[in-house]
Amino acid sequence: MIRDITLGQYYPGYSIMHKIDPRLKIVAVMLYIASLFIVKDFMGYVVVVIGLATVTAISKVPLRFILRGLKPILIIIIFTFTLNMLMTKGEILWEWKFLHITKEGLYNAVFMALRLVFLILGSSLLTLTTKPIKLTDGIESLLKPLKRMGLPTHELAMMMTIALRFIPTLLEETDKIMKAQMARGADFETGSIFRRAKALIPILVPLFIGAFRIAQDLALAMEARCYRGGEGRTKLNALKLKRKDALAMVFIAVYLGIVILERIFLIGLDAKIIALLF
Amino acid sequence: MSITVENLTHIYNKGLAYETIALEDVSFTVPSGEFIAIIGHTGSGKSTLIQHLNGILKPTSGEISIGDIKITDKRVKMVDIRKRVGLVFQYPEYQLFEETVYQDISFGPKNLGLPTEEVDRRIRKSMQLVGLDFEEFAERSPFELSGGQKRRVAIAGVIAMEPEVLILDEPTAGLDPKSHQDILNMVEEVHRETKNTIVLVSHNMNDVAERADRVFIMDSGKLVKSGRPQEVFREREFLSHIGLGVPQTTEVAALLSERGFQVPEILLRADDLISFLAERLPAGGV
Repeated sequence: MIRDITLGQYYPGYSIMHKIDPRLKIVAVMLYIASLFIVKDFMGYVVVVIGLATVTAISKVPLRFILRGLKPILIIIIFTFTLNMLMTKGEILWEWKFLHITKEGLYNAVFMALRLVFLILGSSLLTLTTKPIKLTDGIESLLKPLKRMGLPTHELAMMMTIALRFIPTLLEETDKIMKAQMARGADFETGSIFRRAKALIPILVPLFIGAFRIAQDLALAMEARCYRGGEGRTKLNALKLKRKDALAMVFIAVYLGIVILERIFLIGLDAKIIALLF
Repeated sequence: MSITVENLTHIYNKGLAYETIALEDVSFTVPSGEFIAIIGHTGSGKSTLIQHLNGILKPTSGEISIGDIKITDKRVKMVDIRKRVGLVFQYPEYQLFEETVYQDISFGPKNLGLPTEEVDRRIRKSMQLVGLDFEEFAERSPFELSGGQKRRVAIAGVIAMEPEVLILDEPTAGLDPKSHQDILNMVEEVHRETKNTIVLVSHNMNDVAERADRVFIMDSGKLVKSGRPQEVFREREFLSHIGLGVPQTTEVAALLSERGFQVPEILLRADDLISFLAERLPAGGV
């Protein structure tokens, strides 16, 4: 039932990708996303694909897991594609009443759709190879400079960690309550939307009460162990940059360099090639 | 109403790398009106088994009939199953949600589509059965009650559906000794009064020994033993091998036998054992 939903998409593994410092991975993803906006033509995408393929191969995450990340945004991709295809002015290829597809529109549509696809594939690699806890550790560490401006970075990271930690617990709780109410004849599957929304009350009320109970227990347990926020707190697994992290940095720098060089020197080449082919 | 389970197998996450066999080829019959107990330690498949009995889980293979209805048949309406089989989950007080005890107990009967007067009659009847005074509790919020009282309300919510088969999954878990006894006595009382079939899931041998007509022992998804408590608890070594004990009285009787003090038949009730020993011991104590 509800427990079958796979949550967080971490794919357990022991590849170098899994072991790289999470801070580095977060920065790398940001740079990667920036690179997607530096790229202005299909030649640039060749560089992106090579980079992405290399990283994917190193991570050893099965391709179907990575592609699964595209499913939720499929509608957005189709929407972007259609809109770009129909709204761009230029040399008309096909026309019907007010709708028209132009050569430039088609080019833009494919280009934008691919940009979205690469965006998702690249960033899902981050969550696939990084445990949620490490991710929040990384975010906390990266936000450290903002601490001087009064941002409670440790507390924010702790909140994120706790939220992530309790998602499976709450799902299990929901599953239990659903079953119990079903045993009392509750019906969640039939009726109008209004009826179905009302049918959720017997689940939501106990779930909220349960969530507060869990929160209270956790707060007590943390206080009993003298938790008092981030001031002077050390970590069991402190983040330290290692040799493989240096290698990763070099890789990112090279990738970014090629993307920029391509943008400067090879822009427009793909248009010429397309023109030659068609 | 009788229960018939034939070759029931349930596999979680079938076809995936982490598939686990929760139930393997379980078969048994329970005649109408019998009080049975299912015993097994955590993860032995007890909970999975009982969730099949009212259609919440569907078997991977095998068939289940309640009375003359085959509930594993796809055409069977869920409401027909739930009318017959009531299931009280572990920690049932966590499913309470209404503003008053009265409204909460009415949830089940209302879902059965009963008229208001009938719902009202059933609420009064079930509150009386679980030992909650109607005048005192009906209009109170279930959330301000004590743990034991909350549990009674939750159990009343299932009893009010007047199921002919009542299944309870560890109804005494986490209660203090007094509430523990009260709840068990209440289950016995309900059984006596409504003549329904009872399936009590437990891992406490003492609870089961004195009350159940028959005991089913589950171990790693299989039904490994069944029979009258006297028969089943005779097998002390086997039970301890699968991580279960025997009732305290049986244990005492067995230890006495080992030291050459003949206790003729297996004695399950503490009172029986005490009076038996009292007869044989020299006056003035040991």
